[in-house]
Amino acid sequence: MNVVNCAAARSLPSRHRFALARLIGYLRLRRSRPPSEQPEHLILAIDRDQSALEMNLVALWVFITTTCYLAAALPVVLPLAIVLAFPLAAIVIHLPIVVGGPLLRLMIGDGNHIKIVSVTTMALLLLASGYFAMTATWARAVAWLFFAILIVNGFAAVIVWFLRGAIQTAEERCVR
Amino acid sequence: MRGVFWRQLLRFAILNVPPWIEPIVMAFWSMVFLVWGPGRRGVIRNLQVIKPGSLAIANLFRCYRVFWNFAWTMADNVRFKELRTIPDWEFTGLDHFQEMQTREGAILLTAHMGSYDLGAQLFSETSSRRIVMVRAPEADPQTREFEEHHGADSLRIEFNTRATELALDLLETVREGGIVAIQGDRVTGSISTLPATLFGKPTTVPAGPFALALAARVPIYPVFVVRLGRRRYRLITSRPIEITRSRNRNDDFARAVGQWTDELERVIRQCWFQWFTFEPHWPEKAA
Repeated sequence: MNVVNCAAARSLPSRHRFALARLIGYLRLRRSRPPSEQPEHLILAIDRDQSALEMNLVALWVFITTTCYLAAALPVVLPLAIVLAFPLAAIVIHLPIVVGGPLLRLMIGDGNHIKIVSVTTMALLLLASGYFAMTATWARAVAWLFFAILIVNGFAAVIVWFLRGAIQTAEERCVR
Repeated sequence: MRGVFWRQLLRFAILNVPPWIEPIVMAFWSMVFLVWGPGRRGVIRNLQVIKPGSLAIANLFRCYRVFWNFAWTMADNVRFKELRTIPDWEFTGLDHFQEMQTREGAILLTAHMGSYDLGAQLFSETSSRRIVMVRAPEADPQTREFEEHHGADSLRIEFNTRATELALDLLETVREGGIVAIQGDRVTGSISTLPATLFGKPTTVPAGPFALALAARVPIYPVFVVRLGRRRYRLITSRPIEITRSRNRNDDFARAVGQWTDELERVIRQCWFQWFTFEPHWPEKAA
């Protein structure tokens, strides 16, 4: 489904993936002005992964978190570890995809495996964060920050669930 | 970077990479592709003409930006084919675009910019007009087979290999009110050409679109699909190029080609990071 000529629809919660982003999207949508008489010429896709800001921020967060864990785990002095951790993190992030993708193809056939790879990657990050949260290294702070963000997102999910009726109404008003 | 492997790898990535780590994957692979010498050198040589007087290091970073945009564009194109995910669209020159669809036949002239495929496929799905896309054939038979297998069903693609037969087919399409989409910024293979000037340097452009417009008496619409950001594109349609017949056909062509290259130059100057020409466009620069 697409929304035509309504700039406010950029903030539709349905165009966001994570609960926190959906909640922020809803708040922005409520504050947006009604469409002007001379609409912009736009076609906006309704897809949960459509928000550039959300996806780029999550990617940055995941990348920095992975880099910190690798830097803490490398048996070299910290400045060198950080330098080495950047390219290593970019490679390590590929592992669930390059290992999981072919395995999934063998097990369930060719097709869209994004959901499974996504859950696997997040589960691996969760495990790594659990491990580093219990160590006495500086990466502990990064791990706790990871959990804090997950908790905030969890709270946002609860709020979004309670607001689901209002969100749907606001979205329909914008799409109409 | 030819061969079916890269197409298969991209398709694999589209079906397996979570969108929230996609920016990291794109950044990484754009960096990896900087190692691809001929492509990097081709882009940098073209940038030397588009942005004269630039430092070599600045052009290397610009080259990375070209690869980055190319990666996203290719990914969006495959995502559309595999998952039917469409990006957001904005329009510039919408009146010209709408006018093109009301005409009894037109030629859509574009460049190797943004996503030609995505734009044409979207057009074919949203417009009642029949669209035929002309493109250079894939040199590798396996790649060609892969593209035919994974292409959009609603779009007819013709390869510019069988010149005479194709010209007649396209003429028929345009006369029946259809739209023929052709890339007019570079010449591949042994197709006929017309002399042109781009960024003050002599070059050639394909003669086909101009000859077809003259024969069918239809206008040429310069259309560019420019990537604005993640899953966000702008369709730029410029005022049509009308080829008027006079006693001197060469002059008629020269005027039309001049209008086209002016438009092309304006868009490339603004969006140099999306001109996906990986071979030196001005051969004498490569020598």
